[in-house]
This record gives sequence, C-alpha cells and structure tokens, in this order.
Amino acid sequence: MATIKTPQGGGIIIFTVIISMLLMMVPLADNLRFARPEWVLMTLIYWAMALPHRVGVGYAWFSGLLMDVLMGGSLGVEAFSYAFVIYLVLRFHLQLRQYPLWQQAVSIMTMVLLVNIPAVLMSSSHVSWYMWLSVITTTLLWPIAYAFLRAIRRTFNVS
Amino acid sequence: MLLALIASIALFFLDTRFNYFAPTRSALSTVVYPLQVIASFPNDALEWISDAFQDREQLAEKNSALAATNLLNNIRLQKMQNLERENMRLRELLGSSFRLTERVLVAELLSIDLDPFSQQVVLNKGLDQGVYNGQPVLDAHGVMGQVTEVASYSSRAVLLTDPSHGLPVQINRNGLRAVAIGRGLGEPLQLAHLPHNADVRVGDVLVTSGLGGRFPVGYPVGTVIAINFPQGKAFADIAVKPAAQLNTSREVLLVLPSAKKTPINNEVISTEELH
Repeated sequence: MATIKTPQGGGIIIFTVIISMLLMMVPLADNLRFARPEWVLMTLIYWAMALPHRVGVGYAWFSGLLMDVLMGGSLGVEAFSYAFVIYLVLRFHLQLRQYPLWQQAVSIMTMVLLVNIPAVLMSSSHVSWYMWLSVITTTLLWPIAYAFLRAIRRTFNVS
Repeated sequence: MLLALIASIALFFLDTRFNYFAPTRSALSTVVYPLQVIASFPNDALEWISDAFQDREQLAEKNSALAATNLLNNIRLQKMQNLERENMRLRELLGSSFRLTERVLVAELLSIDLDPFSQQVVLNKGLDQGVYNGQPVLDAHGVMGQVTEVASYSSRAVLLTDPSHGLPVQINRNGLRAVAIGRGLGEPLQLAHLPHNADVRVGDVLVTSGLGGRFPVGYPVGTVIAINFPQGKAFADIAVKPAAQLNTSREVLLVLPSAKKTPINNEVISTEELH
C-alpha cells in the first residue's frame, strides 16, 4: 500500500451520520417541521469534503436509502439525490475547501436545491413553497455544522 | 456515480410500480427501528416524567372524571347491546349474515417526524404481533387510516388525510355511499363524485361502508362541515371533518380480522383487547 496514513475513526463517521438521522426524526412543532435542515446531507457533505477517500458516493447512496426507509418515501429517491450531491462535492472538494464559509454555504445551498428536484419530480403529493424552507435553514446552519464537525474530526483524529 | 443512478432508478421503479422490494423494505425497517425508538425517546420520557410527578389532587380529579365517563359508557353499552341483539334478530329474519366480534390490538405511535409532505405514522407493533398490510387503524373517536408497511416490530400507517388515501364511506342518516379522499393534514376530507342533488346535509355523520373489504362496517369517519356547489363543476364540493383526533392520539387500535362465520345466535358482543 502506498498510503502512509491508515484510515481511522470510521466509527466516528458512522456515529455522526446516525446522530444526524436521529435529528431528522426528532419531533418538532408543526410549523417548524418544514424548516428542518437536511442534517444527514450536511454531515455527509462535510465528511466527503474533508475526507474524500473515506466517504464516497456509495456511502451517500446507502445513507439515502436508509433515509428513504425511515421517512417512508419511495425507495431510491433520497438515495439518488444524496449520491448525486456527494458526487458533486467529491468533484469540487478542492475548490470547496478553499472557499470562505459563507461561499461554501451558498454552494451547498445550490446542492440542496438539486436534492429537492428529484423529490419534487417524483412526489405524488402537491408541492408547496414550504418545500424550500429547509434549503434556507440548511444554508444558515452550515457554518455551525461545519465548525462542529471539524471539531469532532480534530478531537477524534479521524483521517 | 452512474452505478448509483442506475440502482436508484431501478429501485424507484420496482418499488413504486411493482412493490418488488416489500421484503427488503421490511427488513431495512426492522434494522432502523431502534433509531426510531431512540428518536422517540425524549418525548416519551417527558411524558413519563409528567405522568410520574402529577400531584395527588390532579390524579384524584382525573380519576373521578374517568369514573364518571366509564359509568356513562357502561350505560350506553347496555343500550347498545340491546340494539345489537335486536339488529341481529332482524338480520336473521332477513337472512343476511352479520359479523359479530372484532378483536383489536392496541398500538402506540412513535413520536417521530416523517416526511412532512405525506401523512404517515409509525406504530410500535409489527409482524410479530400479527399486524398485516392494509389493516385498519382506529383511535378512540374514529378511523385514522390503514397500515401500509409492516416490519418485524413496527409498522407504518398512512392517515386518511393523506392525498393518496380514499376511504369508502356511507352517510349514517340515509345510507348514501361515497368515497372520502384526503387533502392533506389539517385539511378536511373531500367526498368525491357526488352530484349536486345528492342528499347530503351539513352535520351528517359518515361511517365506513365496508365496501372494498378493508375497513369493517360502521366505524365513524367524520362529519360533513361544508357543502358547496361550484358553478360549472359536475360534482358538489363536500368537506368532511375527520372524527379521529389525528394530531393528538397517542394510542391507536388495530382491528384484527374477526372469525368470519360466527353463528348468529352467539351473543358475544365484546370488543376484546389484546396487549
């Protein structure tokens, strides 16, 4: 093997993803439900950006599949959108790392918008403007999530 | 990436069109059930704590209120037993069969949020407790919905307010049959395809008609709250308020299939409870 660093802390990555899945399910007040940020996606984006050799498209696809099951949607919708976003992140992770936080947040906003498009196309129920609230909250919360996940990565020395 | 795309599309179509992955989905649901329980835990714990620390007076008050309603219910039940017997005798005269007992299973909702755009709930009973796909879900006040997906220890039910849900109903007053279609949470149901001259009045009580074979006959569904006759439309626009307390019910009843051919003279009325 040519790699010098051996990967470690895989458990931490899985743990953060599971915590974010819990956050997606914790009950909120009715009018806040629509504004729930995409926790799982934020976590996956962070890890794909920081450790592109650890978290890839397959990882994202499987997390998305679990989300489909958890949320009771059609299998494959979230799986595809997550995989697609992580593909984009992997493609541009070097640029994304260079951006200041707010610019990162804006890039991530466009990606989350992309995520919502398959959901819009494939959902049978009527679509309302509420749908886009989560995009806004995700963007606003990105700097916090980023700082938090980076602290976790440094503390537990995940590489 | 291409692989993920193809796999997703294949999954999506096989899942929605042919329901090919029901076993897989059920297995995955079993795997993620602990997650759902954990997510539900804070709320449950809060509820438990508030239960545990209620003061004595409150409990005594509640107790006496419950005793009073229990008495009332018992009186009603006696009357109801009489009516039921009379009904059975009349049916016997008519020569039609009558289903006697319906057994129910009590399940609890997990307090977790799902996709906010479809009305679904997760119940804490599954295949192991005899829940099956398509099983009717009721609460203390009326029909709530039906089970759409069963895993080993949990199941998922779609509420009758979901836009993809239709429920065969009849008006209690005159037996007029219709289909009640969901229009989203917080919105009233809609009675579909009733002409302008249909005999419907505001305040009419709707019960399940039993047509379609999923729901047992005679459970309350809701009351008519508004009737409009839009100009230029073929059908009346009839809004129905669901009887079930979709937002507040924590405990629900799952109706188990009854022993179909019970002899008519069997005078059992009980709605047995299984835990």
